[in-house]
Amino acid sequence: MISEGRARSLLERVLALVEATKGAEGLVSLRASRAGNTRFAQNEVTTSGEVDRLTLDVAVQLGQRRASASTNQLDDRAIDDAVSRALRMAHLAPESPETMPPLGKQSYPRVKPAADPDTVKLSAAARARAVAAAIAAGDAASVAIAGFYEHSYDLVVRGSTAGLWASHESTHCELSCTARTSDGTGSGWAGVASNRAGDLDAAALARTAVDKAVRSQKPQRLDPGRYTVILEPAAVASLLAFLIGSLDARRADEHRSFFGKPGTNIGDKLFPETITLRSDPGDAAAGGAPFDDDGLALAATRWIDRGTLAALTYSRYWAKHQDKPPTGEPGGWTLDGGPTSRDELIKGVKRGVLITRFWYLRSLDPQTILATGLTRDGTFLIESGEIRGPVNNFRFNESPIHMLANCDGLGAQSIPGGGEGAGARSPILRSHEFNLASVSEAV
Amino acid sequence: MLTSTAMTLTRRSFLVGSSLAALAAPRLISARGLLTDPTLDDLVKRALAAATKAGASYADVRVVRRRGESVAAREDRIERVSSSEQYGIGVRVIAERAWGFSATPIVTASEAERIARAAVDVARANARLLKRPVELAPVPANVDVWQTPLLKDPFKIPLEDKAELLLACTREAMKVPGVKFATAGFNGQSEWKLFASTDGGYIEQELCRLGPRLQVTAVDDRRGEFESVASTVAPRQAGWEYVENVKLDAGARALAELAIEKLKAPSVTAGKRDLILDPTNMWLTIHESIGHPTELDRALGYEANFAGTSFATPDKRGKLQLAAPILTFYADKITPGGLATCGYDDDGVATGRWNLVEHGVFVGYQTTRDQAGWIGETASRGTSYADSYASIPFQRMPNVSMRPGPHERSLDDLIAGTDDAILIIGDGSWSIDHQRLNFQFGGQQFWEIKHGKRARMVKDVAYQANTIEFWNSCDEIGGTSSWWMGGSLFDGKGEPEQINAVSHGCPPARFRRVNILDTNRRTA
Repeated sequence: MISEGRARSLLERVLALVEATKGAEGLVSLRASRAGNTRFAQNEVTTSGEVDRLTLDVAVQLGQRRASASTNQLDDRAIDDAVSRALRMAHLAPESPETMPPLGKQSYPRVKPAADPDTVKLSAAARARAVAAAIAAGDAASVAIAGFYEHSYDLVVRGSTAGLWASHESTHCELSCTARTSDGTGSGWAGVASNRAGDLDAAALARTAVDKAVRSQKPQRLDPGRYTVILEPAAVASLLAFLIGSLDARRADEHRSFFGKPGTNIGDKLFPETITLRSDPGDAAAGGAPFDDDGLALAATRWIDRGTLAALTYSRYWAKHQDKPPTGEPGGWTLDGGPTSRDELIKGVKRGVLITRFWYLRSLDPQTILATGLTRDGTFLIESGEIRGPVNNFRFNESPIHMLANCDGLGAQSIPGGGEGAGARSPILRSHEFNLASVSEAV
Repeated sequence: MLTSTAMTLTRRSFLVGSSLAALAAPRLISARGLLTDPTLDDLVKRALAAATKAGASYADVRVVRRRGESVAAREDRIERVSSSEQYGIGVRVIAERAWGFSATPIVTASEAERIARAAVDVARANARLLKRPVELAPVPANVDVWQTPLLKDPFKIPLEDKAELLLACTREAMKVPGVKFATAGFNGQSEWKLFASTDGGYIEQELCRLGPRLQVTAVDDRRGEFESVASTVAPRQAGWEYVENVKLDAGARALAELAIEKLKAPSVTAGKRDLILDPTNMWLTIHESIGHPTELDRALGYEANFAGTSFATPDKRGKLQLAAPILTFYADKITPGGLATCGYDDDGVATGRWNLVEHGVFVGYQTTRDQAGWIGETASRGTSYADSYASIPFQRMPNVSMRPGPHERSLDDLIAGTDDAILIIGDGSWSIDHQRLNFQFGGQQFWEIKHGKRARMVKDVAYQANTIEFWNSCDEIGGTSSWWMGGSLFDGKGEPEQINAVSHGCPPARFRRVNILDTNRRTA
C-alpha cells in the first residue's frame, strides 16, 4: 500500500498541475485502504476477500466555478487526465456564490494514533479463527449462525494550493452475528465496532447472539401501543442517527428542520439533564478524525449539553453567510451513558418492552424527525421489573427527540457494529411512551 | 484446470471469425467502441493460469472500469459538478471447494497473477470452515459482446447542456410564489467489464445508466411548516436522448404548484381505506415485497445477519398464494431500458426471463451458479452481480415486474370505478421488516378519490400492511398501455454492502381495505 510520504509527493505533483492553470486553486486528496472481510452463514464461511483501494480526488476552482474529478489510477496519464477533467468541468460549471476557497494551513487537534498495529496486520487466517469461534458457539447450541467480520487500514492525505497539509491513518474493524433457532421462531443479534481488533471477542459476541436466539423462541403476542422501552445501544444508535443528521444550521435557518423554531433553538432545554451528545475527533474507536473532507480542523464539541441544545453544524459557506465559525462535518459521536446497570433499568419497569435493535429505519417527517423502522433479533416483554419472555416484533413510528425527552435512565455504552446507523458510541437507555405502532410477524 | 477453447479464442481471433463470431455478428456490429485492449488478453490468461497453478479448480477474472458523472443544481446555482473513474481487477476462485477473492486497482499482468494467488490463499484459509462445498451449475462457454442500445452517449454531452437543463428546471419551479427551494440533479453511470473464466466464458459488456431528478419545497414561514414533492421521472439504462424525452423542465412549474397545494392540504384521515397505486409508487412496493423475498440466498438464511431472511421459503414454492390470482410477477434481465438488463451476469450466464409469482402463487427464485443446485435446479437464472472490480459477485435482484392485466384499463378507468379511496403517486418513505412481511410506504402526492373522481389533495399518508394480505387484496389492475417502469440506481445488499441498479414495471392497481396512517406526529 502507498506510504504517507509517497502520497504527499504525489499530491505535490497534482497541486503543481492544478497551479499550472492561471487562477486555478484546488484541494487534492489521496485515500488508500487495505481491507479484508469474511462472511459466514448457516454455520460455515460463505465468501471472503482482500481488497486494495485507492482514490485520488481533485477538486479545483476558478474563481467561483468549481468541479471535482476522481480516479483510482496513479500513473502519469491518469493523473493528468483527472486534473484536466476537473479543470475542464470547472471552466464549464456556472459560477456559484457558495464556492469557498480552499483552506490554508490548519492547526489540528493532537489525537492518539488511530491506526492499531495489530489490526493493520490482520490476515484471512486470523479472521477465519475468529469466525470459527463464532460458528462453534452456534454449533454448540444447535442454532444457525450467520455473521460478518471486516477490517481495514485507511490512509488519507490532503493538500491544497493555499498551503493546507493534512494526513491521518486509522484502522477500523467490526464483527456482528445473527443466530436463529432451527424452528424459525427465535433470533438473536450482537455486534460491535472499534479501531482495535483486540476489542472484538468473537466467542463472547456469538454467545450473546445465541443466547438471545434461544431465549426469544416462541414469542407471545403483544398488542401494538405506547410502551416503556429499554433500548439497547444498537437501537439507540440507529434512531439517534436521525437526530445527528438534523443538526444542520442551514436547514434550521431555512425553516426546513425540527430545529430553529420557537423552543427548539440553541439554548433551549429539550431533554433531561442526563442527556449529553458530543463529538470527539480523538475517539478513534467511534470513527473520530482530526479533520473533515475539506481539511477543516474538527473540535471536540457538545451539541446537546445536559439537555440543552448547545450547537448546530455549520458548513464553511453557511458559517460565512451567517457570520459564525464553521464546525465542519464532525465524527466520533457519543451519547453519554449513565451509572444504571441493565438489570436496574429493567427493575424500574412496571410493563414495557426490551428491544435489541432496529431495522430498516426511514424518515417519515423531517419537521418532527419522525422515523419508522422495525424491532428485530431479541424483543422481550418486561413486567414488574423482570423479563417475562419473548414477544413479537413491532414496527415503530417515533422520533429520537421523543426518545431522549422521555429518557429516565441511562446505562453502559458500546459502539454497535454491523447495524444501521451504527457508529455512535451509545448507551442502553430507558424511555417512555414509545410508539410501537403495528405488529411485525417477522422473526 | 484451464479448459477452455475460449481462452485461446481471444477477442481478436473471435472478431476475425469463428463459427461463434458469425452467430454473434449482429451484436458485434452494434457494439460501438468495445475493443478490448490487446494487453488485457494476456493479463486475463495469466491471472486464470496463476489461479489454476496455485490450486484453484475454478477461477474467473473481471476487469472493470466504472465512470460516474454527477451534476447538482439548487435554485439558481450549480451546487456540485463531479466525475469519477475507477478501474481494477477482481479474481474469484474456488480452491479446496471454498470461495476466495482478491482485487487490485493496479491493472498489470503481474499484479493479476499476485491477486489470483492471494485469492487461492483466502479460499484455503476458509476451507476447513466449510460444511457444504461450493458447486457450480454448468454454463456454456459464452463468448460475446453486449452494450446498452443508445443514440447519445451521456458522457459526451457538454456539461453546459446538463447544467442548463437542471437550472431551467429549478428556475421554472422557483417562479411559483411560495416555493422556497428547488433541487435538480443528474447522475450518469458507465460500467465496462471484461469477464473471463476457466469454464470458457469471455464476455465484454458496457452498460450506461442515468438518473435525472427534481424536487421542489414550499415553505409556510408563518406556520413554520414545509412540504416537498419530487418528480416521478425514473432512472433508466439509456442514452442522453432519454433525458431529453422526459422533459423534466416542462413539468417543473406543475410540480411546484403541487408542492404549494400539498402545503395547504389537510392531513389524511387514518383508517382502513381502499387504495389505488400509480406505477410511480407501486414499483417500489414490488421491489421490497416481491423482489427481495424471492432472492434464494435470503430465503435460505445467507443474508440473515444483514438484510434478514424471507417468508418465501422453498417449502412454500408452488403452494403459497402470495397474491390475488389476477397477479403475475416475473423477473428478467432483458427488458429494454431496465437498469438490471444486460447480456450476461457476472457468472457468465446468459440472461433471460422467468416467473416468480404465477397467477398469485409463489413459484420461482432468483439464483446464481452456486445456488441453483440448492433447490434442485440444473441451471442458474443468471442474477450474479458485483458492483465494482473490488466486490465479490453474488446474487442480486434482476428487474422484477408485474404483468399488465388482460383488459385495456387506465389509471382513470380504475379511479372511475372506485367510490372512496386514496390515490398515491410517486415513491416516498419506505420500510419493510427483515422477513418482508410488515411494510410501510409513503409517496409524493396523495389524492382522495370520491365517487369515481379525483377530489382534494391530502398529505402525511403512509400505507402499512402485511405483504401477503396486501397483494391478495388487489382486485383490479391496468392494462398494457398503463404499464410503466420505475427503478433505483441504489439498491443495497450484502456485507460489505454492494449497490445494484434495478427496474420494476407495473400497471396501476387497486387494493381493498388497506391500513392508512397519518404520519404527522402533531395530528396523529
